[in-house]
Amino acid sequence: MSDEHWFERLADATGATDERAPAKLASKVYSAVVAGLAERGPLLDLKDCRRAGGHLCVFEQTLTLLPRATGIGTMNPCRVCHARALGERMEHAPIFWPGCPYSEFHNG
Amino acid sequence: MRVDRHGGGNLCFRDNDGVTTRGSGTVGPSPNTPEALAAVDGEQELIASVLRGDRKAAARLVSTHIDAVYGFVRLRLVPRADLVDDVVQDVFLAALNGLTTFHQRSSLRTWLIGIARHKVEDVYRQRLRSPEALEAGDDVEPEWSSATADLDEQIDAVRVRSQTRRVLAQLPEHYALVLLWRYWEQRSTREMAAAIGASEKSVERTLARARARFRELWEQQRRPSTSGRQ
Repeated sequence: MSDEHWFERLADATGATDERAPAKLASKVYSAVVAGLAERGPLLDLKDCRRAGGHLCVFEQTLTLLPRATGIGTMNPCRVCHARALGERMEHAPIFWPGCPYSEFHNG
Repeated sequence: MRVDRHGGGNLCFRDNDGVTTRGSGTVGPSPNTPEALAAVDGEQELIASVLRGDRKAAARLVSTHIDAVYGFVRLRLVPRADLVDDVVQDVFLAALNGLTTFHQRSSLRTWLIGIARHKVEDVYRQRLRSPEALEAGDDVEPEWSSATADLDEQIDAVRVRSQTRRVLAQLPEHYALVLLWRYWEQRSTREMAAAIGASEKSVERTLARARARFRELWEQQRRPSTSGRQ
């Protein structure tokens, strides 16, 4: 087997991966993606997210009680949530709220 | 995921069935099966939801594809592990910016891996562009014994993968990058030379040294376990 062929075989044998990304990286990427979406315009209202089948966390559910006209449902409450802060900094963050994406990255 | 080359320099991506996902992944079904069509519908719906600003869909997008993107980038940036997180994040932000132009000629995962490939090659270009990068050598002669080369006897996917990663991490950065670029990204020496403004000869010389150094470290790592079994 030539040197060239040996390396081609090695690359073939090791090119695939079944690694999981660290949960804190998933958290950071999610935060960046949502921040990117928010820069383009208002996010989809939380009530509409729920209607589309999305699960809301307890804090988001509370916000849906406010009138739609306040516009708060289109904001990004995760930006100021301690779950985000923990999720982005710890690998096994102690966050367990159903419907919280950070909790799902860490426990999913 | 591997890249297959076809005539005319076209690239065609082959999905990597070894990739696992956190969420309801879309890898697997063959084209035109009901599962494949459902996966396409699911991706269309996911993309439309993200573009509407649905944060829960954004979470699904990240959750479903981050493992594949991370695995791809991590292996190819073994010598620069400090850049992996930033590159992965850049991939998703670039995808977000280009989502309106994604026409589903490939799966969403294949498209994301294509973006990751470009980002990784940006790093290769930046790191190897300086004139000294390729010339900085260590004095290893490019030779090895083909008698020890039977990879078939050594293939044990997990062990080989981790040994490969260890050896790549031990190499000087420019050696690891040229090897990854040449063999894992399947770029020709001509393409590499053009991308970094170097001569093809100098890329070939560096590759020869890099291969020799890699093989030397590879054999060193094999020896203890081989002798331990006897």
